[in-house]
Amino acid sequence: MWKRVFKMFIGLYVPLFALNLFLYYSQKAKQIEAIMERQIRANTMKKVSFEEECHSFLRNTHYWATLKYPKNFDPLVEHSSFLRSYLELIEDITSYDQFRFIDLEGKEFFRAERVGNDSIIISAIQNKNYHPYVKAGLQLKRNQIYLSQISLNKENGEIEKPHKPVIRTVAPIFDNEQNQIGLVVINFKMKKILDQIKSTVEDKNVYLLDEDFRVITSSTIKEDLPYESGNKNSTIDGILNTKAITHIRDSTFVENGHIWSQQSIKLNGATFTYGSISNLPTEIVTPSNWLMALEIPPRLVKAVLQPVFESLLIFNIISIIGLFVFSHIYLKNRIEKEQFYKELESKNILLTRSKDQLEENNVMVNEMNNSLEIKNKQLSDFNYLISHNLRSPVTSMSVIVDMIRKEKNPELLNQLLPKLDKVAKSITHLTEDINDYVAILDNKEIKIVDIDLKELILEVKHEFTETLLDNSGFEVQLNLAAWNHISYSKFYLQSIVHNFISNAIKYKRDNVDSHIQFESALENKQKVLYVRDNGIGLNLDRHGDNVFKLYKRFHRNISGKGMGLFLVKSQLEALNATITIDSKVGEGTTFKLIFEK
Amino acid sequence: MNTKPNILLVDDDELYLYIMEKTIHQLSKELVVSTFTDGEQAVEYISKCTEEKVELPEVIFLDINMPFLDGWGFLNEFKKLKPKIISNINIYMVSSSMRDSDVIRASNFEELTGYVVKPVDKVQLAEIFKKIYQENW
Repeated sequence: MWKRVFKMFIGLYVPLFALNLFLYYSQKAKQIEAIMERQIRANTMKKVSFEEECHSFLRNTHYWATLKYPKNFDPLVEHSSFLRSYLELIEDITSYDQFRFIDLEGKEFFRAERVGNDSIIISAIQNKNYHPYVKAGLQLKRNQIYLSQISLNKENGEIEKPHKPVIRTVAPIFDNEQNQIGLVVINFKMKKILDQIKSTVEDKNVYLLDEDFRVITSSTIKEDLPYESGNKNSTIDGILNTKAITHIRDSTFVENGHIWSQQSIKLNGATFTYGSISNLPTEIVTPSNWLMALEIPPRLVKAVLQPVFESLLIFNIISIIGLFVFSHIYLKNRIEKEQFYKELESKNILLTRSKDQLEENNVMVNEMNNSLEIKNKQLSDFNYLISHNLRSPVTSMSVIVDMIRKEKNPELLNQLLPKLDKVAKSITHLTEDINDYVAILDNKEIKIVDIDLKELILEVKHEFTETLLDNSGFEVQLNLAAWNHISYSKFYLQSIVHNFISNAIKYKRDNVDSHIQFESALENKQKVLYVRDNGIGLNLDRHGDNVFKLYKRFHRNISGKGMGLFLVKSQLEALNATITIDSKVGEGTTFKLIFEK
Repeated sequence: MNTKPNILLVDDDELYLYIMEKTIHQLSKELVVSTFTDGEQAVEYISKCTEEKVELPEVIFLDINMPFLDGWGFLNEFKKLKPKIISNINIYMVSSSMRDSDVIRASNFEELTGYVVKPVDKVQLAEIFKKIYQENW
């Protein structure tokens, strides 16, 4: 039962499960695609705002580069008033950290630094010509601006503490006669910008990498530019679980459940027009080649997919329960049906059997009915015998007694008295005969035995002296080929055979060789015995009804009580056998005995 | 055969015959009674009478149960002789039993005048004779 239920359940559930899987994965792909789209947008925004900041620095620098400085520019002494108003301006632009002028030899000739938050002071000149940005700046042509890498600010060769990430812009400056007088170098504070980049929504991770994939800033690391301060987790190997980061192209991909979106920021060689449109375009020179990467960790992806997964899970659980219950009920019904059919079949078999039994019983009842009918007939005959044969002598007697009482004449009285004696005698005879008959009717004690018919007939035959003599003119013939053994009452069969032989001898014809023949036969599976003689025969037209009745005699000259055939019939019927007669006057008589199956 | 019998008694019970004869004579000394102890003898007598054109008795009292030929057998034979018989013969079936089957069977014989149950007493006989002999009685 459970095996079948399970099989059916699997058969139903597997396709459903496959469909579910398909749905889940397509849904997942769709969700991830949506996430990616959002991610790209977010990443683009970060990139653009970063670029915007860079441009804002470049624009500032461009402004300084296009100022017309006085000839023999001496910002500290001669032209300090020229510069003052500009410095006041810078004071309010808080991203300015240092502002310097460097001559064509690479030596500083003006240096202003931010102190605190809102004041710029002119400080002592330092020699910076060994710095790469100074070297790169001296290479710059007119209308070129150099944008440095982002780094931690160092003072006197030491990383300034607290860490101050800065970006430097360098541009050549010219006097009013268009002669280059040096470079303007501005340090911009990057802290705010980097913090802004780091600020994330929805727990996404943001990385800003340099051209060597070193981390400039990351939402996963507290400090900026960690490689500069010796933090080992500063490269992608340490913190980024992806190998697919590249500068070659922007891409968005899924790796190990992380969704990555990367966009490179390439400013080197780009040209912009700052200020008035009529200005010449400015070219940006920078060694930096950044990469903005946005990572969505698996946790977040999972969180997005969770509802889909959960709804499908619930659907599956319901499906499993539903299908299981359905399979169970369906199969239960089916098994019950099968059981029902089986029972029906076995009931059918039982019915057929009981039908057969019934038919058998019917046959038995029929047989019983037949035997009861015979019994009934016998009883009726007996009743008739008593009422008729006994009643007449009794009534006669009562009449005679009445006569005697009335008779005065002694002579006549003497005549009447012997009549009474006659009546008494006839009653005695009748009683004796009835006794014989009743013994047959009351057949409870009949002993049924297996009888060898031939033996029995020969035994009975020897009771008749006529058969003992060879030349007696009477012969008993036997033809018992069909059957010879029968279960019957030996006493009855002896009596029956005795009566047949006795009758055959009594009613034999003169002047012929008389015989009686016993022939056994099987008809309709029943044992039949024919008893034929060649005697004087009987007129059945006249006597057919009375042949087997008590006290019936048909031959005046031959002695007899009229009881032989009556007893034969009674003895046969007592054991459910029947007898019929066929006879022709002057030819002989045939009796047919049919025994019970 | 010399005197024509008026009444024929057919019964194998000799005692019955004796009683009937006595009873009939008590009623009338003039009636002549003949008796036979079985049907066969009675049939032979009647057929002989018809052949010899002898007058037949007016009444026959016929028993049912008899050897050689019983009452029914007698009636069957009588039927065959009937076309030759001119005079009217009253046959009464006499039985010691009132079995329904016998009464019904008797009613099927139109040759029968009546059915009488033994013992037949004087009164019954007188009535029968009254019917048959009418004013002569």
